[in-house]
Amino acid sequence: MEVKNVAPPRLHVVFACLGVAFLLIFSWVLLHEGTTEWRSTQARFGRLQASVKNPHQLAQAASVGGLRQIWLPDLGRIDRCGTCHLGIDDPAFAAVPAPFATHPGTWLSTHPADRFGCTPCHDGQGGATDYTNAAHQPQPFVSRPMRPLETIEANCGACHRALDPPDAPRLAQGRRLIVEFGCFSCHEIPGFEGLTFRGPSLASIGYKVRSGWLAVWLHDPKAYLPQSKMGNFRLSTQEITSLQAFLLSQRAQPPLDSTGIDWKRADAANGRALFGELRCVSCHAVNGRGGTMGPELTKIGDKVQRDWLFSYLKDPHRVQPDTPMLQYRLTDEQLRDLTSFLFDEYGSAAAATEPPPVTYQDARLVAEGRAVFERRGCTSCHRLPGFKDTGRIGPSLAGIADRDPDELPYGSNIVRHTTDNYIFLKVLLPDTLGQPSSMPTFGFSPADAAQIALALASIRKADLPASYVVRRPAPAPYRPGGAFGELVDRYRCLSCHSVNGYGGDLSTVPFDRIGSQLRRDYVAKYLLNPGAVRVSVEARMPVFHMVPDEAKTIAEYFADVFVDDSLERYDARFTAVEVRRGQELYRRLGCQACHQLGTKGGYVGPELSTTGARLKPGWIAAWLSKPQTYRPDTLQPDYGLSPADARALTAYLSGSGADRTRGGNTP
Amino acid sequence: METAVSEPRRNRVANWLDAVRRSVCRVGWPVTDKDRAAAMISSLFLHIHPARVSRHALKPTYTFALGLIAGILFVVLSVTGLALMLYYVPYPPEAYRSMKDLQFVVTFGIVLRNIHRWSAHAMVLIVFLHMCRVFWTGSYKTPREFNWVVGVVLLLLTLGLSFTGYLLPWDQLAFWAITVGTNIAAYAPVVGDRVKFLLLGGHVIGPMTLLRFYVLHCVMLPLAMLMLISLHVWRVRKDGLSGADIRTSTEEEAAGVFPASTKTYGLMALSKRPRASVESRDPNDEVFAWPHLLYRELLVALGVIITLHVVSLVFMAPLEEIADPTRTPNPAKAPWYFLGLQELVHYSALVGGVIVPTMIVVALLALPYVDRGKAGAGRWFAPERRVANGVFTALAAVFVALTLIGTLFRGQNWAWVWPWK
Repeated sequence: MEVKNVAPPRLHVVFACLGVAFLLIFSWVLLHEGTTEWRSTQARFGRLQASVKNPHQLAQAASVGGLRQIWLPDLGRIDRCGTCHLGIDDPAFAAVPAPFATHPGTWLSTHPADRFGCTPCHDGQGGATDYTNAAHQPQPFVSRPMRPLETIEANCGACHRALDPPDAPRLAQGRRLIVEFGCFSCHEIPGFEGLTFRGPSLASIGYKVRSGWLAVWLHDPKAYLPQSKMGNFRLSTQEITSLQAFLLSQRAQPPLDSTGIDWKRADAANGRALFGELRCVSCHAVNGRGGTMGPELTKIGDKVQRDWLFSYLKDPHRVQPDTPMLQYRLTDEQLRDLTSFLFDEYGSAAAATEPPPVTYQDARLVAEGRAVFERRGCTSCHRLPGFKDTGRIGPSLAGIADRDPDELPYGSNIVRHTTDNYIFLKVLLPDTLGQPSSMPTFGFSPADAAQIALALASIRKADLPASYVVRRPAPAPYRPGGAFGELVDRYRCLSCHSVNGYGGDLSTVPFDRIGSQLRRDYVAKYLLNPGAVRVSVEARMPVFHMVPDEAKTIAEYFADVFVDDSLERYDARFTAVEVRRGQELYRRLGCQACHQLGTKGGYVGPELSTTGARLKPGWIAAWLSKPQTYRPDTLQPDYGLSPADARALTAYLSGSGADRTRGGNTP
Repeated sequence: METAVSEPRRNRVANWLDAVRRSVCRVGWPVTDKDRAAAMISSLFLHIHPARVSRHALKPTYTFALGLIAGILFVVLSVTGLALMLYYVPYPPEAYRSMKDLQFVVTFGIVLRNIHRWSAHAMVLIVFLHMCRVFWTGSYKTPREFNWVVGVVLLLLTLGLSFTGYLLPWDQLAFWAITVGTNIAAYAPVVGDRVKFLLLGGHVIGPMTLLRFYVLHCVMLPLAMLMLISLHVWRVRKDGLSGADIRTSTEEEAAGVFPASTKTYGLMALSKRPRASVESRDPNDEVFAWPHLLYRELLVALGVIITLHVVSLVFMAPLEEIADPTRTPNPAKAPWYFLGLQELVHYSALVGGVIVPTMIVVALLALPYVDRGKAGAGRWFAPERRVANGVFTALAAVFVALTLIGTLFRGQNWAWVWPWK
């Protein structure tokens, strides 16, 4: 009886099976924990280290056992990438494959790991300790997988807010394109505050353009001008007709009187000479070559009316107060020749005949055009009296990089649904996303669109701690008054030159210390007939046809205001010994390889025969000592000259041409 | 030197060790039936079982051990939950990060979390099945009416524990499931909004909600659960398992699965009760709990633990992105056991959010006091209970179907989708 109250043997079998299963499963758990990916990776690194390093280095090397992490409390991140990337800061592993390779470049020295970690630049899931979960590749539920190198510069932009951030060429180009195309005219874009983009004023467009051209332009600006900054608004024929009527009815200010001009006597040869002398191509491209500050002139004859062009060249600021174009001091005959040349050279045969004046009287059509003008937000870029600033027509792009990719439309485009891809498509083909879009098609190349998308992908929702942000320098506007101010305004000096970072960058010569660089007499003479100081540089200063008094005013203002005292205090009484030593140095350093002096030398740097007449000695010495301080991108080598050597060279160069009083060089 | 130890000394050591053992556990390894009874009765923990149990109630196909499994899951959840509490910070961004740390750096962290997560889901399911079993065998009949009520409350507590735990990972899944769940609660008339406010500690889910849910999940609800489970099991002990009147089939008898007992023990001296079930039972149908019941319980526990480990090593507990109140997933779904309700809410907020859940709870609580017939208790699908079983089965099937639809067949904007597409 007692025996019957013990458990039946069958249960013992079950117990044995379950017991074994339990032991197995528990061993599996232990194995699971003991063979995690990072442990085996560290073991591999240990073996690799033994082959890469010699015994002495091995003894010095720190133990690699265990998890490694960088805690960034300000950024709310913990990066454990170093658990596997064990050779990342050790140059000994430069030639080793991933994950043990040394970090390329100098990035880790400029961005120390203990302050920047890994994921602020690379993205990915920094807390993970295995390849998959670190999101080296896109993973479900990881909103920011690691960026590929092609777009990693988007993360540079999160901290570096300058428009031309260092060492991030794609980001810089993207931002440049945003500025160039004025995306912020229609969209609020954080980081681009305070910048303005202006298309030409349309107040008198009725006098300016030909009606046929306007229709073509409105239909597709790129058809006329491939570089057009205006996008294609995909207007219907009816919209184009009405908009054309509305725009041609804008006649606020008639062009300057040109009735006295005898066009038959125009001298196209003189016009061509003027076109070169005025250096029009510094700003305007023709046939694809030239500057980009002004519109391309290749087909200008088909676009504008002759009287208007004459009037515009005579006084561009009258109808376009914002234009960077300067006002040359030309006679009516010169203007006539130039206008005529432009029409002959850069217009089709049809342009030769002046079209009959068109008057648009259909009030209904004009009203319709006005409605289109308003609806499509033309006032975002173009000024037109009677329209007040209606604010930005496009949505704000604040935090666009953190938009939920699942909520965004992709139309029928077959792409992975990421915010980056959405931005790229929107920039490239705004009308293909399956939603009606008012955004014009700008016709960007895929490469340009990718760069713009990259720049926009740096605009995050949550801002970084201020200690991480490198703000965009905001140059203070420079607006001088008086006679000098009027000249700066008329000749638009600041379209090319800058003062304290404010102004254009076409010229390599900022005004900041120009009074201590150039001799006053030289400036006064040079401005009357400017030429190339650097033969190799394409953009040159135009011949303004300035009167001597104007040049003198500018030269005096320079000498009085744009002065650097440290350069002015230079003792310019040189001894003959110093001059001889300078000559010797000139030969020994091989200056003639790039510079011409007398009849011998290269053409890379400026010609030096007239240095003494051009430059003040203090500046020559300062430049020779530390050229990169003044222009970081100059080709002039820093020889590390001692003050005495710099002085000797200065003595030698100051002597050259000091006796000559010629103003400028012939171009 | 073994030979140096003299025989008397060896005895002295053995006696001393025996004395220590007896101070802890007075009954030795039971080898006689008397000891087997004493072992059960003299132990605080084992005394939750009777010394002898009906061998018919031990038949696996009678209970499927569902109540036992639910109890085991509660223990597993308590142990893993306590371990998880060592790593968890109930404050928004850190809460999510502690989930990630469990996954990436805490030793055994991911297995712990997976076991906890899957046990929690399993417990909801098992408790529901347990309830179905009790209904289908008519086991809530007199004298077990009140224990059914306690069981219903335990079901609600299980749901509450699972629901409060759902928020703690603080990922998108958690945030929006709780948003939907608490919105369903807010449909209740008059008090709905107040209940929601009380639950959330505000009008929207935020750090206060997380703290509240944490305290509810880790302290209040488990304590209530522990007390009610004790009561529940205690009542089982007092009222006995139902099904005592079922006779074992002759085949089983012949196979000797449950050996027939021929000895009788009067336990009156040990347990004086006004309605002791012991007397009413046939001693020939009873076996000693030690080892028959305890051994089986041990096997079930082993089986449950093994299953949980396998599932947890193969399937990862879900963890989505960190909760973002500005990014609503589409569709936002409540925890799966509320998706039947959400499906109803989709048709009518009042019906799905108020009327149906209230009716379910009231009906379940009132059931044993309304259905007072004694026929058919203790047998699966007793023909006498055809109507009751039919109604209950139909309602349960509808609820399961609604839950399945809400879980698998609902996509964006709650539109119908085929799960295999």
